[in-house]
Amino acid sequence: MSVHDAIPMPEQRGGLSLRKRRLIIHASIFLGLIALWEICSRLGWLDPLFYPRPSSILHSFWLIYFQNANVWYHLYTTMVLVLAGFIGGSILGIGLGALVGFNAVIRRFLKPYVIVLEATPRIAVAPLLIAALGFGASSKIAIIVLVCFFAPFINTLSGVVNVNEERLELFRSLGASKMQTLRKLVLPDAVPVIMAGERLALTAALSGALVAEFIQRDKGIGSLILVYSRNLNMASAFACIFTLTILGFLIFRGMEWLDHRIAYWKNEAGMERVAAKRAAQMGDLNV
Amino acid sequence: MSDVSSPKAPGTADHLMFRILPHLVLFAVLLLIWEMAVRTGIITSIIIPAPSKIIGAIWELYVTKGTIYRHFFITFTEAVVGFAIGAGVAVTLAVCSALWDPFKRYVSPYAIVLNVTPGIALTPIIIAWFGYGMGSKIALAAVISFFPIFVNTLTGLIQRDEDREELFRSIGATDAQIFRKLRVPAALPLLFAGLKIGLTTALIGAVVAEFAQATDGVGVLMSRFSFQLNMAASLATLLSMTVIGLILFYSMEFLDDRIVFWRRESRGAAASRAKARAWKSRMGQ
Repeated sequence: MSVHDAIPMPEQRGGLSLRKRRLIIHASIFLGLIALWEICSRLGWLDPLFYPRPSSILHSFWLIYFQNANVWYHLYTTMVLVLAGFIGGSILGIGLGALVGFNAVIRRFLKPYVIVLEATPRIAVAPLLIAALGFGASSKIAIIVLVCFFAPFINTLSGVVNVNEERLELFRSLGASKMQTLRKLVLPDAVPVIMAGERLALTAALSGALVAEFIQRDKGIGSLILVYSRNLNMASAFACIFTLTILGFLIFRGMEWLDHRIAYWKNEAGMERVAAKRAAQMGDLNV
Repeated sequence: MSDVSSPKAPGTADHLMFRILPHLVLFAVLLLIWEMAVRTGIITSIIIPAPSKIIGAIWELYVTKGTIYRHFFITFTEAVVGFAIGAGVAVTLAVCSALWDPFKRYVSPYAIVLNVTPGIALTPIIIAWFGYGMGSKIALAAVISFFPIFVNTLTGLIQRDEDREELFRSIGATDAQIFRKLRVPAALPLLFAGLKIGLTTALIGAVVAEFAQATDGVGVLMSRFSFQLNMAASLATLLSMTVIGLILFYSMEFLDDRIVFWRRESRGAAASRAKARAWKSRMGQ
């Protein structure tokens, strides 16, 4: 028992639940910080040229989303690149990971290269790829593929290799075929690990796209941020950054949802959902 | 005891040779195929230079001209200083959050916001704030290495082993003692895992900031060579980044081994032998 459980917390006070009160505190801290920022800026303690006011960031949101509406095109360009690179990198990573995971000889000889690759900052290859493949979408996608290839690769590899020995023994003694062992033993344990790798990969893909755009400086949200901060239009640059924050949050939530859907056996609700579905199917058969 | 502790059993060297030899042979064969492919023109040498060219570039960069060293140390310093700042802030905030619940509750949303924002997106803004010199690289390295360290430290500190805590309380340990003797040691392995990730990210931060705008550093050297289409030199520079990455990673691994000694059996045995020696000498006095 921890201390917090031992001390009874007052659940109700002034007609507000604990949850609501906490939300109010959160909101007031947030608003207080924003107000402090705005006031510091107005009083001249923070140079608005470098540290834009909250009000001017809000105004920039209005500008880039509605009045000029220039952010949509760049956002769209970046997202297409991210998705293309992510899908390519995932397929490559999971495929190679499985290939290497199931083959002990390849694994042994590939290990030193993997260690070296892991230590290299992979984003650093960006200028090389741009020089080799030229400016444009192809080199950007190549960078993203390279950046997000690694996490699914390593996770697939470890998911496939780290099989529970005792269960494997049981499967063997029951005379399970290779296919059965794969489907009923290896995959159920490996898929959550692979999904964790995919999450990392999607985040890395977004970073990779940004770096590629910083270097190429033609289009996309990364080059938009670069141009805005070069022009010291910091408010618009911040509006772009907060856009990426929202995007990152959506990506996080989306991947979580996908994870729950695909690896349903890892959570209670998913199990219930699938069980209900199967029960319904069985019911159909009986009728 | 003694035969377990002696690390060099007879024949270890031979085993090592036998283990490494196939790898070396494979590596040599791969290089040979690559070289042949470039020489016969199957691979365009502008895009992928021959290994001999790369070795020549390495020789030039590292030995005859020695241009790499200055840039190497600049990037190395940026990554390490940035990492130190990021790790310091992250560990401090994580300890405060673990010790004081309201702090955790009202700080964590901002940490999450920082996490879902791709830190690299801040590069141009940080350059506008901190200038073209080393400052901006250090700042970016600190910002993007912050989160993995913070989250790992916090997770490590708030995980509770109820049974052990019960034991500690029943023998009258104070809160401070529980924190120092139970929660910190339990958190250290996770903390080190976070530090390792953070160190790698700090290097990425330093290099990316150099790509965006800088005058010195491995990143600048690399993009300069790439845009001159001097791929061999560019790859030779990339190698230096790998070397930085390896140095950083293995020094952290070494610290991990020494500080979290109880996780490794051999280190645990060494530590207990040292303690036994200390006890014996104290008894002797």
